[in-house]
Amino acid sequence: MQRIVSIISTRIFQLLIMILILSFVTFLLMKVTPGDPIRAILKVDDVVVTTADEEKLRQEYGFDEPIFVQYGKWIWGVAQLDLGESLISNRPVLDMILNRLPATAALSLGGLVALLLISVPLGIIGALYKGRWPDYLSRWTAILGASIPSFWLGLLLIYFFSLKLNLLPVMGKGTLAHYILPSITLGIAMAPIYIRLLRERLIATMQSTFIEAARARGIRKERILVFHALRGSLIPLVTMFGLSIGSLLGGVTVIEILFSWPGMGELIVTSVMQRDYPVIQGYIIIVGFLVVLSNLAVDLLYLIINPQINQEKESV
Amino acid sequence: MSNPIISIEKLKIETRNGSYPLVNNVSLEIKKGEIAGLIGESGSGKSLTARAVMGLLPVNMKNSGRIVYKNSDLSALSPKDHRKFLGKEIGIIFQDYRASFTPYIKIGKQITETIRTHYPIGKKEARNQALEVLGKMGLDSERVYCSYPFQLSGGQVQRASIAMVLALKPALVICDEMTTALDVMNGEKVLNYLEEVRKETGCAILMITHDLALAYKRTDRIYVMQQGEIVEEGLPEQIRCQHQHPYTKKLCACLLSLPGENFIINERVNDL
Amino acid sequence: MDTVLTKSTALVRNPNMLGGIILAVFLAGVMFLGGALVPYDPFKIDMGNRLQEASTLHWLGTDQLGRDIFSRIVFGAKLTIGLGMLAIFMAVCIGVPIGLISGYIGGRMDAFFMRIIDGILTFPDFILAIAIAGILGPSLTNIVIAIVLVRWIVYARVVRGLVLSEKEKEYVLVSKTSFSSPIKTIRLHLLPHVMPDIIVMAAIDVGKVILLISALSYIGLGAQPPIPEWGAMLNDGQGYFQVKPSLMVYPGLAIMVTVLCCNLLGDGLKSHFDIRKGRQEL
Repeated sequence: MQRIVSIISTRIFQLLIMILILSFVTFLLMKVTPGDPIRAILKVDDVVVTTADEEKLRQEYGFDEPIFVQYGKWIWGVAQLDLGESLISNRPVLDMILNRLPATAALSLGGLVALLLISVPLGIIGALYKGRWPDYLSRWTAILGASIPSFWLGLLLIYFFSLKLNLLPVMGKGTLAHYILPSITLGIAMAPIYIRLLRERLIATMQSTFIEAARARGIRKERILVFHALRGSLIPLVTMFGLSIGSLLGGVTVIEILFSWPGMGELIVTSVMQRDYPVIQGYIIIVGFLVVLSNLAVDLLYLIINPQINQEKESV
Repeated sequence: MSNPIISIEKLKIETRNGSYPLVNNVSLEIKKGEIAGLIGESGSGKSLTARAVMGLLPVNMKNSGRIVYKNSDLSALSPKDHRKFLGKEIGIIFQDYRASFTPYIKIGKQITETIRTHYPIGKKEARNQALEVLGKMGLDSERVYCSYPFQLSGGQVQRASIAMVLALKPALVICDEMTTALDVMNGEKVLNYLEEVRKETGCAILMITHDLALAYKRTDRIYVMQQGEIVEEGLPEQIRCQHQHPYTKKLCACLLSLPGENFIINERVNDL
Repeated sequence: MDTVLTKSTALVRNPNMLGGIILAVFLAGVMFLGGALVPYDPFKIDMGNRLQEASTLHWLGTDQLGRDIFSRIVFGAKLTIGLGMLAIFMAVCIGVPIGLISGYIGGRMDAFFMRIIDGILTFPDFILAIAIAGILGPSLTNIVIAIVLVRWIVYARVVRGLVLSEKEKEYVLVSKTSFSSPIKTIRLHLLPHVMPDIIVMAAIDVGKVILLISALSYIGLGAQPPIPEWGAMLNDGQGYFQVKPSLMVYPGLAIMVTVLCCNLLGDGLKSHFDIRKGRQEL
C-alpha cells in the first residue's frame, strides 16, 4: 500500500515538473518568435486592418502584459482546468481537445492490438527457431520495420488494400473496417523494439534452470513457452511499453494525418498551421497528463505481473 | 534378484563441434527400490549423466550409448515420446531449490499442472492430490499451495519439490545435489522425507552428490566418477574401506569427519 | 598493420556491419555521383514533360510538374542525410559535455536535475517537435532546431549514467587524486569510455532523425514544397499517387534505405564495441 502511494506521488511530481517546464519553454518560444498571432487572427478574418484594431485585439488577449504575468495567468487558469480559448474558433481549448480524445484513444488501442498481434508471435518464433529461417524472418521484420517511415507504409497499405484490391476503406473513421489499416500501420511502426526485446528475453528465459525443471516434469514445450517463459519475459516488455507510450502518442499523430482520422493529432497539426497558440499549449498539457497517467497505470500493472517486486519492496 | 529399473550402457556425452568427451563409457544400473549414489567432484560429469537420462542436455552436446528404462531405450526416443517418461516415470530434484519452480507461478498451480500433464483428471482432483502430498511432506499445505516460491524458505521449497515428485509416484527419482544449497538441519529433514517417499512408493533413487558422508549414510551402492568416467563401484563399506582406485582413496582422504578416521582429528587436537 | 587487418575483417564478418557499409557506399555514390550522371535541375518545372514513365532520359520518371524524380531524390539525399547528421552532431555537442560534467560532479543537484530531465523525457519528442516547429513556424531550419532542442537531453542522460558508473572505478579515482584537473580527467578517462556508446547511439539516431524530419515534412511542418526533401516530396505527390504510384514509391524507398543503413551500421557497431569491451575486461 505504501508503495502504491509512493508510486502515485512520484508520478504526480513528475507531471507537475513536466508541465511547468514544457509550458514555460513553449510560452517563452512563442514570445520570442517573429510570427504574430494577432496578425494570424486578422489574416483569417480577412478584413482591412488598422494598427488601432491590432492594438485593441492585443489588449483583449492580454498580449501586451509582461511575459511572466501572462504565464502566471495562464498557469492559474490551467490549475482551474481552464486552458483558454482558441484564437481561431473561440471555443474552449479543453473541449476541443477532449472532443478529439476518444478517436485518438480508439486508434491507439487498435494500434496496441495490432502491436501485440505482430510482435508477440514474431518474438516467439524468433526465440523458438533461433538461428533458423523463421528467426531470420522475425529479425528482418524488426530491422525493416524500424527503418520504414510509418506514413509511407500507410500509403503503400492504402494503395494495395484500398485502391488496388478495394478491400478496405481509404480514409476517415466510421466502421470497424476503418480501423484496420491505421491500426496495422501504427502496430508495425511500434513493433520492432518489442519483437527484438521479446525474442532476446525469451531466449534468455528459456535457458534458465526453472525452465529445465519444467521440462524435467514432462510439460509440453509449447506450454512451457507460453505459461512459464512468456510471462517472465513480459515484465521487461511492460517496462518497455511504459517507456514508449510517448512515442505511441507521437506516432499516432502522423497516422491520423495520413488517414484523415479526426483525432487530437489532426487537431494539433491544423492548429500549428494556423498558429493557434492556446490550442498548442493546451495540447502539451493534455499529452503530458496522458503520458503520466498511462505511466502510472503501467507502474501499477507491473506490481501485478511481478509479485516478487511487490513483496521485496514491502518487506524492506 | 530383480531386474534393473534403469541401466545405462556405455554412455558417452560430447560437444557437437569438438570430439572431446565430457562423459565417457559410463555404465550403471539401478535396481527397483534401491538407492544408488553417484559421487565425484564437481565437473566430473555426474550432472551431465543425469541430464542425459532426462534428455535435457544443452543443445551443443550429444550423447551416444544406451539408456534403458524398463525395456525402452530412452536415448533412441523422440523428444515427444521421451517427454512422457519425465515426471511420471522419472522424477528429478535439483540442487538449486529456487530453480525447481517457476518463480512467478504459485506452487500449487505448478504441482497440479504437472499432475494434469500426465493424468487426465479434473482440476479439483488434482488440487486435492497436491494438497495431500504437500501435507505428507510436513508442510502447511493450504499456505504452500497458494505461495510463490520466493515466499518460502529453501527447505520448504525443496520439500515442496519432493512433494511434486511424490504426486506422480515415479519409479526412479534422481536427486541432483538436492541438499547442497540447504543448511545441515534442513538437509537432513529433506532427506528423511525422501526416505519416506521411497518407503511409500518403492521407487529407486539415484543420489548424485559430492558429499561422501551423505552417500555412505544414505545409499545402498555407490558409483565413483572421475573426469567423465566411472572408476569404481561397490557397497558403501567397500568404497570406504577397500577401495581400489587411487582417486577414491584421495576422495576418502579428504573427508576428515568420516567415522572410523577419528584418529586424524585426535592427532590434530594433540598437535595444538 | 596486422591489427588493422584483423579489425577490418572482424568488421566485415559481422553481417549487419557489412550490409550497413554496402548501403552507405551505395548512398554516398548516389549522393556524390548522381548529380553528375543526371544533369537535371531538381527545381526546374517542365509542364510539357509531366508524369513521365521511367526512361533512359528520366531514370525514375518525372513528377506532376515535370521535374526529374531521380535528380530530386539525389538532391534530397544531400539535404536529408546532411540535416540528419547535422542535427545529431549538434545534439551530441550540447548533450555530451553537459552529461559528462553533470555525472562527474554528481551529488544532489545532479540527481534533482536528472529527475526533471526524466520527467521531460517521458514526453513524446515527436509532439514536442511539432509544438516547437509550430511555434517557430514551419520550415526545415526550425525543424532541425526543434530536434536539437529535444535530442540533446537524451545524450546528456545517457552520458551521465555511464559516467556515474565509471567514475567510481579505480583508474578514475587515481587520476582524480593525482591532482589532475577535472577537465583533464574527463577528457582523458571519461570521454573515451563513453565514446563507443555515443557513436552507436548517434548512428542509430541519425536514422531516427531522418524519419522524424521526413514525417514532419510529410505532415507539412518541415520542408516546404519546392524543396525536394523526401517527406515533402511524398506530401507533394500524394494527390497523384493513384495516377502514378512511383511518385510515392521512390522517395519512401529512399528514406527506408537510408534509415536501414543507419540501423545496420548502429547494430554492427554495437556488437563490434561489445566484443571489444568483453576483451578488455578479460
